[in-house]
Amino acid sequence: MNINNLMALQAYDPTRLQAIAPEQTPGGGAGAAFVAAMEGFAQTLSRGEQQARAAMTSGADPHALVTALAQTELAVETAVTVRDRVVEAYQEILRMPV
Amino acid sequence: MTDFSSALSVAASGMQSQADRIRHVSENIANADTPGYRRKVISFEAVRGRDAPNGAVQPGDVQLDQSDLPQIHDPGHPMADENGNYQGSNVDLIIELSDAREAQRSYEANLRVFDQLRSMSSSLNDLLRR
Repeated sequence: MNINNLMALQAYDPTRLQAIAPEQTPGGGAGAAFVAAMEGFAQTLSRGEQQARAAMTSGADPHALVTALAQTELAVETAVTVRDRVVEAYQEILRMPV
Repeated sequence: MTDFSSALSVAASGMQSQADRIRHVSENIANADTPGYRRKVISFEAVRGRDAPNGAVQPGDVQLDQSDLPQIHDPGHPMADENGNYQGSNVDLIIELSDAREAQRSYEANLRVFDQLRSMSSSLNDLLRR
């Protein structure tokens, strides 16, 4: 019986820690995630440019170029959509009667 | 990397492998009449590692078909031996053409996947835009 209690406690402890941990820095987590997303976006964009340059100048593999451009298109489209939504929300706030 | 963009690179690796395959097929067809030529065959290998964390396909090493070269009787040929025979190539055009057709179909399948992924992702973005 004692062993069972101990094991249950041990199993419970990590879950409890996991549940508590994100609540400690809510603002920092969201900000860091945003920065990471933006860095990934810039990286995708620069990879597309790099592949396009390589395909034009040194005859690199066209499949890599098509992949990089499709990924860039995907990333730009997502970023533009998110930006539009953010601007829209901001304008909605500005239109609020004070 | 989202699932979409990693799936795009997997589909592109499939297309690249099929392009490599059809390059060897065209080499075989071009050398069908070359004396002593052995047809080149490639296999495909699945890769999963640091370069391709999501898995991909790559063409394996080129191997020469070890089947017997046909003896062609032509005494006027410069490479003919004392019996008037020389060794031809072991390329069978029917096999090469069906191989080329198979490569084309596989390429098209990968291309369809690529296209479908793009339309799926843009549909998802359209949903967000509404």
